[in-house]
Amino acid sequence: MRLPDRVTGLFLVGLGAAAAYGGWQLPPVPGQPVGPNVFPLVIGTGLALCGLAITFGIGRSFEEEEHLIPVEGGQPPPPTNKLYGLRALLPPALLLLYVAIAERLGFILTAAMIVYVTSTALGARWKIALPLALLAPIGIHLIFSKLLRVPLPPGVLPMPW
Amino acid sequence: MLNTLTQAFSLITTWEVIIAMLAASVYGLVIGSLPGLSATMATALLVPVTFYLSPIAAIATIVAASTMAIFAGDIPGALLRIPGTPASAAYADEAYAMTRKGEAELALGAGVWFSAVGGIAGTLSLMILAPPLAEIALSFSTFEYFWLAFLGLMCATLVARSSPVKAIASMFIGLLVACIGIENPGGVPRFTFGMTNLFGGIEPIPALVGVFAVAQVMRAMLTPEPPPIPRRKFGSILAGQWKLTKKYNWQMTRGNIIGIIIGVLPGAGADMAAWVSYAMSKRFSKEPEKFGTGHVEGLVEAGASNNASIASGWVPSLLFGIPGDTIAAIAIGVLYMKGLNPGPTLFTEKASSMYAIYLMFIIANIIMIPLGIVMIRLASHVLRAPRSTVMPVIMLCCAVGSFAIGNNIFGVVIVATFGVIGYVMEENGYPVAAMVLGIVMGTMIEQSFVTSLIKSDGSVLPFFERPIAAILAAMAIGALIWPVLVWVWRKFRREPIVATSAR
Repeated sequence: MRLPDRVTGLFLVGLGAAAAYGGWQLPPVPGQPVGPNVFPLVIGTGLALCGLAITFGIGRSFEEEEHLIPVEGGQPPPPTNKLYGLRALLPPALLLLYVAIAERLGFILTAAMIVYVTSTALGARWKIALPLALLAPIGIHLIFSKLLRVPLPPGVLPMPW
Repeated sequence: MLNTLTQAFSLITTWEVIIAMLAASVYGLVIGSLPGLSATMATALLVPVTFYLSPIAAIATIVAASTMAIFAGDIPGALLRIPGTPASAAYADEAYAMTRKGEAELALGAGVWFSAVGGIAGTLSLMILAPPLAEIALSFSTFEYFWLAFLGLMCATLVARSSPVKAIASMFIGLLVACIGIENPGGVPRFTFGMTNLFGGIEPIPALVGVFAVAQVMRAMLTPEPPPIPRRKFGSILAGQWKLTKKYNWQMTRGNIIGIIIGVLPGAGADMAAWVSYAMSKRFSKEPEKFGTGHVEGLVEAGASNNASIASGWVPSLLFGIPGDTIAAIAIGVLYMKGLNPGPTLFTEKASSMYAIYLMFIIANIIMIPLGIVMIRLASHVLRAPRSTVMPVIMLCCAVGSFAIGNNIFGVVIVATFGVIGYVMEENGYPVAAMVLGIVMGTMIEQSFVTSLIKSDGSVLPFFERPIAAILAAMAIGALIWPVLVWVWRKFRREPIVATSAR
């Protein structure tokens, strides 16, 4: 997901301009010189200016190259095709899935699914992933629902406690 | 004074606090020693649990977990050359070189011993610095608070190990996030896009969990698994540490002082302290040629430094609500939740709670020595837990924890969103710590800014008229133009820019 500075810079210019415009549109408080519109205006302008500077590469010379420590023993480098990078989006996607279905399916089943998928994606065999998917949700449920009284959705598979 | 001290003692000698502290210590040691799970993440995931504890027990968990995690990061650093937390990255090479020379005990012992010394020095600084500063801060008006917050934000961008322009941009993004909601001078819905869930604004804690925990799981998806730790037997861990203390007394003291200063600076935390101290140690050493070959001197200084910064990071947090580092940013959230709103009056009205915090820091640093030794001996077992079993549990904690904060499923959406934001920013060299500071301080800086402007009828002059405000303003503006000056200087000199190898 390493994007060129030009792209992130221009994105920030857009974001800043939008924020400044959005702030400008807010109604002022009658009888007061400053209201809710001032702060977004200042921030948006600042952000847009920073975006411009980044686009033109100002300040680049300060960036330090990341200090990567090579792993000894040498593992094979990960395959670098385009789809591989999308794997990073799996965790947030699973969280959004949780938002979408936890209410109906219940915590235990949804959580088991999240654990199984994450674990397999990180390279676990089913012999590890399956027991983990069975035990981890129950453990978390015990701690949060029983001990801390968080109302987790029961769904189709309520826990006996 | 004595009365408050006994009160503080009775506050922390309840079973709830003791158990919370021990459990959080073990938790901090485990999370800190697992590579890829940072101390900040350990603290962030702890917040939902603190909801259900009494105020003192809640703070106890944070104090204990963060202290332990910073030390525990040294363990895989020394044994695997992979720092457990970013704060140990500065000297992981050195510690590993010592292990290869057969001095693993000395390296790990120095880690635990000087971490404890540093932590206690940091606590002393908190005890000594905070009350007199609170006296001064009582006379602050919104002008001073504005400049103070501004200065805090500028510090965060100055110390980022990245381009200052990107750091400032990150900070603005954070401030923009803080604009969302109806909690603004006009009480109108701002940037909510008609979503009722956004009316209350973005809660800092789910955002922090996203940035520090989800983003880390995302990164794990693309990086190879670290190798398991080789099994080994350890000799005595603390042998020879007293001798080192006497030999490197000055280095240790310098590490403590640097750690304290960096901790107090907003936004700069343990990892920065360790880098600076390690570099200083090398620069001023009598035998700099030994650095990198397994020399304990740098470990002493940097190990003391990163733990000293943890406690002193609480100074600006408790006084002004300005986080000294990302862990303190989380702590501020918890303080607000528990009715211990940061501010100078905390030291007069809730003095016994403050003493309880000092005591907890000291206790945490003392029990770190025995617990740390146990952890070192168990390390080869704990660190065998593969990432594919740890990360899924963290995912569940993110989902449940962010839900628990407001019993609102929207919290999970925030966590996921900020996971993506944090990941993309980090990948592209935008320091997330600066954004976090912006989110945490946004409301405060806007309030002090707008209130000041209303008081002054829209004129900017009063911002510079009060003496303390003028000093703070000068410092803040200096911090703002400093990178510009350096940039101009470099252009002028036409020096080839070399990546600093001094570290």
